[in-house]
Amino acid sequence: MPLILPLLLAVVLFCIGVYGVLARRNVITMLMSFELMLNAVNLNLVAFDAWRVDEATGQTLAIFVITLAAAEIGLGLAIVLLLFRGHGHVDADAARDLVERP
Amino acid sequence: MTTVLFSVAGAVAVAAAVLVVVSRRIVHAALWLVVALGAVAGCFGALHAEFVALVQILVYVGAIVVLVLFALMLTKAPTNPLPELTTGRSPFAAVVAAVLALILGAGVVLAFGNEKIEPVTGGSATAIGTQVFKNWVLPFEVLSVLLLAALIGAIALSQRKKED
Amino acid sequence: MIATVWRVTGVAFSLLILLFAALLYGAAPDQVAFLDSPVGDLTIGFAVRTDDLTVLMLAVVGVIATCVQVYSLGYLHQRPASYHALVTLFTAAMVTVVVSDSLFFLLIGWEVMGACSYLLIGHYWERRDARSGAVKAFLMTRFADVGFLFGIFVLGVGAGTFRISELDPARISAGVLTTGTLLLLVGVVGKSAQVPLQTWLPDAMPGPSPVSALIHAATMVAAGVFLIARLYDVFAASETTLTVLAIVACVTMLVAALCASAAVEVKRVLAWSTVSQLAIMFSALSLGTAEGRHAALFHLVTHAAFKGLLFLCAGVLLHQVGSAALVVLRRYTRRGKLRKALQVTFLTMTVGLASLAGVPGFAGFFSKDAVIEAAWEQAHDGSVVGWVVLLSVCLTAALTAFYCVRLWLWTFFRTPALAGGIGAFEDGDAAADLDEPDTSKLRDAPWVMLAPLVLLAVASIVLGYVDGVHLNWVIGLVSTALVLLGALPAYSLWRRGADPRPVVFEREFGVDPAYHGLVVVPVRWLAKLTVAGDRDVIGAYVRAAGRTGTLASQGFRRLQTGNVHTYLTAAVIGVVALAVLAGVIGS
Repeated sequence: MPLILPLLLAVVLFCIGVYGVLARRNVITMLMSFELMLNAVNLNLVAFDAWRVDEATGQTLAIFVITLAAAEIGLGLAIVLLLFRGHGHVDADAARDLVERP
Repeated sequence: MTTVLFSVAGAVAVAAAVLVVVSRRIVHAALWLVVALGAVAGCFGALHAEFVALVQILVYVGAIVVLVLFALMLTKAPTNPLPELTTGRSPFAAVVAAVLALILGAGVVLAFGNEKIEPVTGGSATAIGTQVFKNWVLPFEVLSVLLLAALIGAIALSQRKKED
Repeated sequence: MIATVWRVTGVAFSLLILLFAALLYGAAPDQVAFLDSPVGDLTIGFAVRTDDLTVLMLAVVGVIATCVQVYSLGYLHQRPASYHALVTLFTAAMVTVVVSDSLFFLLIGWEVMGACSYLLIGHYWERRDARSGAVKAFLMTRFADVGFLFGIFVLGVGAGTFRISELDPARISAGVLTTGTLLLLVGVVGKSAQVPLQTWLPDAMPGPSPVSALIHAATMVAAGVFLIARLYDVFAASETTLTVLAIVACVTMLVAALCASAAVEVKRVLAWSTVSQLAIMFSALSLGTAEGRHAALFHLVTHAAFKGLLFLCAGVLLHQVGSAALVVLRRYTRRGKLRKALQVTFLTMTVGLASLAGVPGFAGFFSKDAVIEAAWEQAHDGSVVGWVVLLSVCLTAALTAFYCVRLWLWTFFRTPALAGGIGAFEDGDAAADLDEPDTSKLRDAPWVMLAPLVLLAVASIVLGYVDGVHLNWVIGLVSTALVLLGALPAYSLWRRGADPRPVVFEREFGVDPAYHGLVVVPVRWLAKLTVAGDRDVIGAYVRAAGRTGTLASQGFRRLQTGNVHTYLTAAVIGVVALAVLAGVIGS
């Protein structure tokens, strides 16, 4: 299999994730798009690991990334819950409390 | 053979990802995320990373997406279709993502355009285990502590203040 | 306690000067130089000299300073320490001027005198007229001193030396000589209050009366006369300078005498009289002869005696009565009270005024006759300057007699005119004259103040005979006639209870308002312009610097929208841009 196939797939997934983070209003959908980005990174790691056969470093790192993603989404959703308690909604665009009025 | 499998899984992943970021019902987006993650697990399998694929399904699909669905429930996510995308900014974001894709893709193709992956037999679990417990022990332990910290943090953050 | 120290020091110092004069009397003329520093081709240094002029001036300074210091012991009770210290410093500066043989050393003394004059006129600095009078005196004399300084430069460089005893007019070119002496003349005109810089002297009268006696009658204003006498060879060699001096002197003496005739306060009359008498001295000097110089110095000495005496008497009037304005003094003379209560003062003031007017027998008569005689010698030889000087001095003698008699009569005698001549001084307010002051407590000054008066009164008579009496009978008769010519109108006006003061003379020829318009107004306008320029032009830049910072920060504030999506978008765009940049740079 040519190497660029998984790599390009990773690029596409990553950019879809970027679009989702920048364009989606609901914070939880932003987090979901962020998961897409992490998956793209994982795909990249595993593809390179398959290309270089001697060690399993890439797969190890992919496992670590998954662990980190789990920890991060746990905390992230806790923050989302706090946001919901404070504002009554989870709209990232409407939560502009830190705005600096000139 | 693996190429074909990979292509199919990849196409499914891309389609599901697009639906995640475009769908107007939030719960549908979460469900499409499940499909996307599952397809990525398939991609892992096609790349001879079976252990990673299994861990992906266990952790990502099994735990993370469930957590997302719980959060959606707790924040009273509406089930009716909503024009959720931020108007005015979504074309701009699309442009930015496209530019990024172009740059990254060009870089990747320029660097690795002619490489090929050789098919490999044998499982990868042994290799990963050896790696983790030989070369990556310290990061492994640190990750455990990190998970603990995340756990405590999540509990601390979501506690309601007790009115005395 | 410090006051006592300074009082003692003051009196002791002035007595020391007298001792010094006595020791130098009869010694051979000599010069000593010290602290020489070569500057290019020239040498600038300190030097002192002694000759008969020095001894004469030291004697004058010593006597007057002693009288003034002793008088001040009784007169002045407000801030005595600084007063006595400053008078002592002033005396030291005058001594410096008198003994100096180096032009720069002389300048040092000259300037210190000006500074002390400023500080002493402003002794009662709570009074506004004292403050402004002090500043005016200082500014006008300082302005003239610029000319003086340049005169020193020109003469010194032209002659190749700054030593007075080495200045030889034969070795200096005519142009340099004239320029240098004219510039020195500017300084003299300022310091001795001649036209056109004459207005500071009458306005210096808010100072204490002993200060007026010492500084503005006997010593500082006479320093100009002394300077020309000291540099007489140099001045006499320049015809132009002498002519200019003659013109200035003649104009001044007449202007000042007329203004004295219209002044309504004792000290102001005496101040204008000083200006006029100084002009007489200058006119004698402008004749260019040895007799002229001798006459001028003679008149300087007698003038120091009787003018110092008159100012001290005015001080007694101020001290005992509270005011020296004729309008106030008249209320005390209504029953002859002033004359009877202040007997010694009355007698000594009479002697002083007689000497000033030139009554025969008193010292002023002899010195004024010496001037007239010197002028007559010159006029006789056909000199135009001599004729001009002669006529001016004669006219001034008559005017001097007029205002002296006027002052004497109006101060001490009740006019026999109807109702005491109401309206002569009160500007038509008849009712202002009617309140009777309390004259029961009026008495003469303490002996500390009266002793100097008596001494100076004796001097005002005796000094005329010290030089040996050589009198030209014709001139004596002429001057006596002039005195009567001036005294009679004053007497008849007093009898009628009238004091006509032509507006021109009362306004002192409008010189002060002219200076105000010519100098003060433009300077103030320039000051306002500078302030506005600093505030609106330079200040605008400074404020703009601050405002730029504020504007910049306001612009940066707009980046904080509070919207997470904006921040993220900016971050991603930034990363993309950096990647592109890295790629471009790398390739």
